[in-house]
Parts: sequence; C-alpha cells; structure tokens
Amino acid sequence: MTSSNSSWSFVFVTHLKRDFLINFRSLIDLVSIISFMFLIIILFILGVGPFKEKLEIIGNAIIWVGLILSIIPSLEKTLQKDFENGWFDQLATSSIPLEIVLLSRSISYWLIVMIPFLFAAPLFIILLNIELKAVPWLLLTMTIGSLAISLIGLNGASLILGAKRGNILLPILIIPLVIPILIFGVGVNEAIKMEADPISNLLLLVAFTLIYLVISPFISALLIRIAIAR
Amino acid sequence: MLERHSFVINWLANPNRFSKLTNKLQIPLLSISTIMILLGLYYGLFDSPKDYQQGDAVRIMYVHVPSAWLASFLFLSLAISCVFYLVWKHPLADLISNSIAPIGAVFSILTLVTGSLWGKPMWGTWWVWDARLTSMLILFFFYLGYILLSNAFERKIDGSKSASVLAIVGIINLPIIKFSVDWWHTLHQPSSILRMDGPSIDKEMLLPLTLMMVGFSLFSLFLIIINVKTKLLEKKCEALILKLNLKEFS
Repeated sequence: MTSSNSSWSFVFVTHLKRDFLINFRSLIDLVSIISFMFLIIILFILGVGPFKEKLEIIGNAIIWVGLILSIIPSLEKTLQKDFENGWFDQLATSSIPLEIVLLSRSISYWLIVMIPFLFAAPLFIILLNIELKAVPWLLLTMTIGSLAISLIGLNGASLILGAKRGNILLPILIIPLVIPILIFGVGVNEAIKMEADPISNLLLLVAFTLIYLVISPFISALLIRIAIAR
Repeated sequence: MLERHSFVINWLANPNRFSKLTNKLQIPLLSISTIMILLGLYYGLFDSPKDYQQGDAVRIMYVHVPSAWLASFLFLSLAISCVFYLVWKHPLADLISNSIAPIGAVFSILTLVTGSLWGKPMWGTWWVWDARLTSMLILFFFYLGYILLSNAFERKIDGSKSASVLAIVGIINLPIIKFSVDWWHTLHQPSSILRMDGPSIDKEMLLPLTLMMVGFSLFSLFLIIINVKTKLLEKKCEALILKLNLKEFS
C-alpha cells in the first residue's frame, strides 16, 4: 500500500466502521454505559437528598461526573481484545500507521458513548431539573468533552495493556488527566446558569480537546508499540 | 559541547563507576544535609522573626516550602530520567526514576500535610479547594500512578516504559502548580522567593529557608542514591541466582 493521503483516509474510515460495528452489535457497552450513568445520578440524588434547590446547584456537576465515570469501565476492553488476539501485532508489522487506527478507534468509541448519552439526555435533564435554555449548551459541551475523554481514555487503556489488575489502575491513571475537561465543561454550564458569558470556558474546552486530538493518537501508538515489544 | 555532555552521561551510566562515585559521596551528603537541616531548624524555630500577621505559625514555612519545592523538582527530574530511559534505553535511568518516585510522593504528602496544618490557624480550615492545593494533590496522584503502573506487570521491566510515558505526560501539571497562584485568585499566597524583582521575603527568614531547602535537596539526593544502590544490588543478586541456576542445569 502506498502511503498517500487517500489511502490513509481509507484506512481511517474502514477501521472506524469496523470498531463501531463491533461495539454497536455487542450492545453491552451501550447498556452498561447508560445504566451506570443512571445509577451514578441516582446515588448522587439519594446522597444529597431530593431537594430541588440543592440539585439545582450541583446538577451540572453530577451529569459531568456521571459521564466521566461511566466511560471508564468499558475502556479497558476496547484495546485489550485486539491486543490479546494479535491484531495489533499484525497492524504494527504492516504499512498501516498505528496512529490513524488509534485515532479512528477513539472516534468510534466516542460515537458509541455519545449515542446512548444523547438518547438518555432528556431523562437526565428531567431528573435533575435542568432549565430548558441550558440544555443545548449542556449537550454541546458534553459532546466536545466526551471526545476529549475518549481520547484520554484510549491513552489510559493503552498504558495498562498486559498489566495485571489493569482495570483497577485505569481510573487512577485517567482521572487526573480528565480534570481540565471537567473544569471547563462545568464552567460553561455554570456560566449559562448564572447568565454570564460562557464563551471563554467553551473556547478553552475546545482548545484542550483539539490538543488531545492531535497528541493522543501518537501517545497511544507509542504505548502500543511498547506493549507489543514486551 | 554535546559530545562532552554525552561523554559525562556515558561515564556515569556505568553501574560500577556509579557505585564507586556514590560510595564516596554518601557520607558527606548525609552529614552536610543533617547539619544544614539542624541549623535551618534552629534558625527557623528560635532565631528568626515572627511574621507580623501570622505570628509563630509562619515557622511551618521552613518545612512546607522546601518539601513543596522538592515535590515538584523531583517530578521534573523523574520525567527527565524517564526521557533518558525512553530515548537511550539505559537501565540505570529506569532505576533512578524508580527510586525518585516514592521519595517525591512522600514530599508531596508532606507538603499537603504541613500546608493543612498551616492553613488551620491562618485560613480557619484544614483544606480549601484552591488551585494550588488541588494541583499539588494531582501531582501526588501522578506519582502514585507512576509507582502503581511500573509495578503492575509480571516482570518489573515491562512496566517501566509505559510508566515513563505517564511521567512525561504528567509534566503538564508542573507549570499549573507553579503559576496557579498567579492565574487564579486563591487563598494561597503568591511566590515570594523566585520573583522577577528579587525575593520579597525578609532576609532573616531567607537564611533558614535557604538552609532548609539545600538541606532537604541534599538529603533527598542521599536517599535517591541509597535507593538506586539497593536496586543495583538486587539486580546483581538476581543475575547471580540466574547464573547459579544455569550452572546447576548444565
């Protein structure tokens, strides 16, 4: 295969389709993410107490924390299977750049996370009494933020390839890196609630996501090459 | 210039030479750092002025500031030695970063603990979610992640490279710690030593603080050297056992 741009985009699209279909047809990810998120929200509401004023204050934060925590458990599986059955070894010896494969994989993971989330969003919004004018902003920031979280998450998943007790390690490695996304994402939604200008926080959120979009595939590819060499 | 640097690095990279050099350094390092810390404690606790606002509580600074400085500096050196390990693949660099990590983690805990002890009388609370404190806590989690990840594999050597990548990524936290007091309005006071217009701290406070800083740094260097030497010996033991087993086998 010649390494021209057109063949790279072909590789990207093919892998995107493959990974998306694998995850979509198994349905376990979809169900686990959505139910996990519901349970986190329920835990929060029961812990705080069902008072409308309190929930108004922390509603945005609950949804964001729910999103981050519900993404993490299914992350390990995204790379583990292909690593164990030798798919990555094959890719690494072929002329297909691993970076493109990993970029497509994080984007397919992002789509997998976003589909259940967008379907469930109306319910969350009703459960947490979020104002109608804040809803488009919430969905927008969630969409951008979850892309960044998927990219970071894939880095984390490639860090623990072949480790024992990797699934316990994963949250410790990912959550410190996700913090800026949480801060700026919640910042936008809080600004909307206070009727302030959300644009600076939004720009920072987008900037972080774009930076991750550029560097994360390279880091993941480096880590997978390290993991293969073990 | 570059050649000379690489010569120095190569010269030190030999484990035997490293042991010889550090054998000579060990005792002076320990004695000098002990003397400096004792002197610094004396000056800091008995012979330096009270702060006009904070009173005697300001003396926590003489432990708090050096450990905070070392926690960040050790993370930087950890990341640098990880770069050395990833690029030149020298096993000694890996041993060094493995030895730095727990010491840095302890210093970051020490920073947080002394900071909250200082915060109680000054701010009226053990902990505030201020940018400086939070980023320091995150630094601790980076240390923790490094230690856990490098020990998460069947063979120790397997985790080293992945953990090195993590440490290098973690460097982005250091400028956040450094500038958090300037970027956000926080309870934590801004820097008073490394400033563009010279230190704004009182001269009599600067003396014990410098003594403590240098003492702490030398002491942690001593600890790192001991750690590295222990790990080198462990490796030698492993190699010996392997050799014996091979002999029996043949």
